[in-house]
Amino acid sequence: MSEPQGLHTKEFTLNVGPIHPSTHGVCRFVVKMEGEVITELTPVIGYLHRALEKICENRTYEQIIPVTDRFEYCTAMSCNMAFSLATEKLAGIEVPERAEYLRVIMLELNRIASHLIWFGTTALDLGALTPFLYGFREREDILDLFEMTCGQRLTFNYIRPGGVSKDIPPEFIPKCREFLDGFNTKIDDYEKVLTGNPIFITRNKNVGIMPPDVGIAYAVSGPALRASGVKHDLRRDDPYSIYDRFEFDLPTGETGDCYDRYLVRIQEMRESAKIVRQAIEQIPEGEIRGKFNKMNFKPPAGEVYSRIENSRGEMGIYIQAAEKQKKPLRVKMRGGSYNQLQVMPVICKGAKIADLVAIMASMDIIMPDVDR
Amino acid sequence: MELKGLFKYLYELLASTGLPQGWVDLIAMVALALVVFGFIALVVLYLVWWERKVSAHTQQRLGPMRTGWHGWYQTVADTIKLLQKEDIRPALVDRPVYFWSPVVIFVAAFMAYVVMPFGDGLIVADLNIGILYIVAITSFTIIGMLMAGWGSNNKYSLLGGMRSAAQVVSYEIPMVVSICSIVLFVGSLSMVDIVQSQAKIYQWFIFRLPFGPLAFIIYLIAGVAETNRTPFDLPEAEQELVSGFNTEYSGMKFSMFFLAEFINMFTVAAIAVTLFFGGWHGPVLPSWMWFIGKTLVLVFVIMWFRWTYPRLRVDHLMEFAWKFLIPVAFINLILAALMKYSGWFNW
Amino acid sequence: MTRDELVTYIQDTFKDTVGLLETGRAEPFFMIKPEDILEFSRAIKDDPKLRMDWLNCISGVDTGEHFEVVYTVASVQTKIRFDYKTVLAYDNAEIESVQSVWPGANWHEREVWELYGINVKNHGNLTRFLLPDDWDQGHPMRKDWDAPDFKRMPEK
Repeated sequence: MSEPQGLHTKEFTLNVGPIHPSTHGVCRFVVKMEGEVITELTPVIGYLHRALEKICENRTYEQIIPVTDRFEYCTAMSCNMAFSLATEKLAGIEVPERAEYLRVIMLELNRIASHLIWFGTTALDLGALTPFLYGFREREDILDLFEMTCGQRLTFNYIRPGGVSKDIPPEFIPKCREFLDGFNTKIDDYEKVLTGNPIFITRNKNVGIMPPDVGIAYAVSGPALRASGVKHDLRRDDPYSIYDRFEFDLPTGETGDCYDRYLVRIQEMRESAKIVRQAIEQIPEGEIRGKFNKMNFKPPAGEVYSRIENSRGEMGIYIQAAEKQKKPLRVKMRGGSYNQLQVMPVICKGAKIADLVAIMASMDIIMPDVDR
Repeated sequence: MELKGLFKYLYELLASTGLPQGWVDLIAMVALALVVFGFIALVVLYLVWWERKVSAHTQQRLGPMRTGWHGWYQTVADTIKLLQKEDIRPALVDRPVYFWSPVVIFVAAFMAYVVMPFGDGLIVADLNIGILYIVAITSFTIIGMLMAGWGSNNKYSLLGGMRSAAQVVSYEIPMVVSICSIVLFVGSLSMVDIVQSQAKIYQWFIFRLPFGPLAFIIYLIAGVAETNRTPFDLPEAEQELVSGFNTEYSGMKFSMFFLAEFINMFTVAAIAVTLFFGGWHGPVLPSWMWFIGKTLVLVFVIMWFRWTYPRLRVDHLMEFAWKFLIPVAFINLILAALMKYSGWFNW
Repeated sequence: MTRDELVTYIQDTFKDTVGLLETGRAEPFFMIKPEDILEFSRAIKDDPKLRMDWLNCISGVDTGEHFEVVYTVASVQTKIRFDYKTVLAYDNAEIESVQSVWPGANWHEREVWELYGINVKNHGNLTRFLLPDDWDQGHPMRKDWDAPDFKRMPEK
């Protein structure tokens, strides 16, 4: 589109402030625009920095678990899991069978809950105000299941080094089955509202395209990378826990635009439901926690980086422990959204300002992950 | 319970008090204006409650439940609250423009009701340019939006105001062209004539295939875009521009914008009923009940749109108007002309 | 590749630059001198058998005696993963930026600079990141950092 002779659009800096209805937490963007088109985008972060890593240096291993809950509170189970895995690798702790199954069930349920939040907020950002309520209605069922088990709805403190902290009550499995039986029809209902809608498609197709090599260069992971066509999932490529015992597909996209990311996540909800169904059938009886000295755990000196597949990408925890110390020397937390926010300036170049909201929603970035 | 006789009786009563004719007419006009104003205000208050209930039940919630039976006087409570609010005016606004823009929008919204046929004989003034008058008046809202955007001295409001103005101007064209196709059939611009030409149910314009339903759909889409409602509400999209051209308004001034939007929605539905659904015709019940009832059904449909669809981006909106709706509206007009000429469906 | 094969391959290809550490628990950890970092990073990215194109993260560590910078890398194609680190003394700690190898390293290095004070050469954008813009109380993640309202949990 060429401008007629003598007509210039001035470059204009817009501040999409830290408090804005659609920045998924407190994130500030300084956007330089020419007319409606974005020429440069700078994210400014740090509004939610709570110095979690410094706190961890001052706590024993058992006391760090509640701190990891707050690292990414939409998927608190995964954060607990990442830290527990790291501690177990550090000290060579065995995890009993039943605990492994319980962990997988909780992780996948948490993944579904997190994707439901994403679904609601994406629809809300684009103006379809109703799916938000529908997503949260399903999420209430999942949160009831969690409350039944560990008494918490958001920050669970459940997956501990060596196993899990409490066993599931007898009403858990029938209730879970009931939830799963109705869940696939509900997802079909959500798809009816948004997937075929021409307005939704026009706003998302060919918007915010992330080529796979850009994604890999910036270490993007999770559904955002899978939508660009890269079949990379840590549950397959680097299996941890007992994921190799379950049958599930990896949905991938083709072009890497917002619409593909949307479809990948919707399909992932279905796959997670599949995994939970299989886990409920196969769960054995047994112990729920291995040998772990809560009060006096002193691992041998060493360092480990363990990673798991979170609903937002790869979550990694690096622990360095000095010899026979109750508190770790260094705990570094690496979240999926950190790199996805880093790649935003690259994919938003040339998009319109209304697309910024759509892209941010489809990348599923939440700020506690980035700021820690 | 026809009201036609009632107004005539009241006028006779006033004339018989012995005041000079000029005074009698003046008092009658003022009283009528107050009645219409009061009626519309009441309808709009009711519509706000209705919107909250419709949205709540679509979203699987209940909506207002405590203020009266199912929250029926919630809007009254809200109005009282808004009246008490502090009128915050930013220091650097352009004072006259900032002050007069809600007035312009509100007055423009009301003026359309001068020619609205509420029932048999219940029309304030049966102008022989009825529908043309309405089209002219609804263009005033553009001026009000631009004034609000400019006067607020705020980047966001300016962007919002300009977008709204562009949107309204673009969607006026398909709306007017589809209205033209109806006027072509009727042969007159007067609202009463348009309603009278649909006296029997098979004469309603919505049933005169193929141009009738098409004109209705074009009119409805353009009308929803005119009132800045979702899916066309980008100018006031909270998620992007924090409220658009009415960002800097608070208290009573904000409520004027808000109510004007609902009045416009009612106007769009009322005109659609007049043009396509036979106006106030209907068996058994009094004519004004039919008119209000049909309008409320259409208003429900418009509200339904809001809670189901995501919103269009501004360039898609413009593309849709100019590249799709306007050509289709013109083709529809030609179709209507052909139908009229050939006598098809022309009874 | 199994862990032993990986260790042997890396030790054979990069004879003098790397040294295997005993502290790695899950994946192999290697030790590298600071001046070899950029070359090593580039080499492992281009190497046909390794193709480490994915940078997981760059962490700074303060052991109480020296600084360490730990690089964790992985490969999307060959599914290999390992870590390597360098040791830096407290004064004049600085390393080369590896942005030219992995553009995603930008923010990680910025964070290392901000929280530890390790200078990163050729970075281009060492500005305030997680901490407030007017922060002037030093580099918080250092072990010797203190502030008036910083309380430690009592030793038990």
